[in-house]
Amino acid sequence: MTISRDMSVDGAASLAYPPLSMAARRRRVGGVVVRDLAALRRSPIRVFEIVFWPVIELVVWGYLTLFLQAQKVPFVVSMLLGAILLWQVLHRAANEVAIGFLEEIWSRNLLNVHVTPVTPAEYMTGLVLFSLTKIAAGITFMALLAYALYGFGLFTIGIGLVPFMAVLMVMGWSLAFVAISCVLRFGEGAQVIAWSLVFVFQPLAGVFYPVSVLPEVLQAIAAVIPATYVFEGMRTVLDGGAIPWGSLAAAGLLDVAYVALALWLYGLTLRHARTKGRLSRFGE
Amino acid sequence: MLILEAEDLAKRFGNVQAVDGISLRVGQGEIAGLLGPNGAGKSTTLHMLLGLITPDSGTVRMFGLDLARHRTEVLSQVNFSASYLGLPGVLHVREVLDAFARLYGLRRPRERVGEIIDLLEIGPLARRKVIELSSGQHTRVQLAKALINEPRLLILDEPTAALDPDAGDRIRGLLVRVARETGTALLITSHNMREVERMCDRIHFVSAGRIIAQGTATELADDFGVDDLEEVFLKVAREGAVPA
Repeated sequence: MTISRDMSVDGAASLAYPPLSMAARRRRVGGVVVRDLAALRRSPIRVFEIVFWPVIELVVWGYLTLFLQAQKVPFVVSMLLGAILLWQVLHRAANEVAIGFLEEIWSRNLLNVHVTPVTPAEYMTGLVLFSLTKIAAGITFMALLAYALYGFGLFTIGIGLVPFMAVLMVMGWSLAFVAISCVLRFGEGAQVIAWSLVFVFQPLAGVFYPVSVLPEVLQAIAAVIPATYVFEGMRTVLDGGAIPWGSLAAAGLLDVAYVALALWLYGLTLRHARTKGRLSRFGE
Repeated sequence: MLILEAEDLAKRFGNVQAVDGISLRVGQGEIAGLLGPNGAGKSTTLHMLLGLITPDSGTVRMFGLDLARHRTEVLSQVNFSASYLGLPGVLHVREVLDAFARLYGLRRPRERVGEIIDLLEIGPLARRKVIELSSGQHTRVQLAKALINEPRLLILDEPTAALDPDAGDRIRGLLVRVARETGTALLITSHNMREVERMCDRIHFVSAGRIIAQGTATELADDFGVDDLEEVFLKVAREGAVPA
């Protein structure tokens, strides 16, 4: 084999721009851009992310505006604060479990965990229990802040707060299992799903406005989301109504279905990852 | 006593036959080596033995138990270390070992962590974050993790790849001692021929997903008509040679 490249200093200079020149700087910056563009081209999930957030923001705050036009301000304020706090329960439940899993990937520790005798169910249970701690800490802090700043007490919702939060947490965990399944199936590039999946449900579940403002098609979808019953119930309670136990029971049943489906999906993707050798690639 | 018995393992990824009918047996206290060029199928084989990859065909039995049916029981007596794996960077070494001691269901995790820290002589690292460790220190902590459950079978994928000669020599000595004194079976891959010659009782030479030769280092050199294992490796990697 002949090495034809001129390895002298002059030769090196002719091969590349002088390292401190503007041309070299432009080339290096261009290299980063080209690399990211290539990554974008290769990842439909990243392309999806570009449109995801603007659409969500537009839908949520647009419908909220429609709702606010017909409401009295004091009720709206407590409703908004209650919605924000309960939304955090769902959001944290989904994210904390997913982050627990993603941290294994970020630290290249996933294979170490998967060669232990820990079963998938044990692993998921551990993630869920750990998330409970973080959810409790986060919600406590936010509730104190809401009381200090706006005089809004989360316990205004009454005893219904317990089942409300339980329904949201279970739904959040099931979304996390789905996100983890997506990462197992599609690789690290899919971790954006872990951050964003829960937001798919924000405009549909009537977090900040009643589902009655949604078109009928979206109302039908909202009816099969457990969180919908929580946020509708919260508004009922804050408006002086009784806790809708019947709706909460329906939400609980939907939660059971969500968890069952999410765990089934996780089992399926884990088997697929083992079959296709994708699990091993998380160690590379 | 037979610790590991893998029969006719095969694995295909798309058009690539990564492993093509590999069979292995490793006995108690034995140190077996899996040797071969990059892409020969060594890591895929190890990952099948660990249940990370499901074989297309073939069976894996450890301690008389079928891995596919008794995953939890089998894996509680096995451990693994690889140069390409990481550990949670923000945790202290002691915390990492404590976590793994618990993942392996040990009764007295703290006591065992103390023992393993003494065995690996990593006391000065115990309160340091993993992310702050040098690659050599990281390897030692990985090995501490790999020994935390007193495994009956220890699978090591290039265990000393990141170590300097002194540290590598100490780790090799320790591993041989573990195998001889505790009866732990070792299955290792390595690109360090001297390491393999020094440590392994039996070497399985892998090429293109198949075991093309096996025996001691001397037997393999004789089979290929060369002086040592390194020459065997070069003949296989460059010429695709098979034993005479």
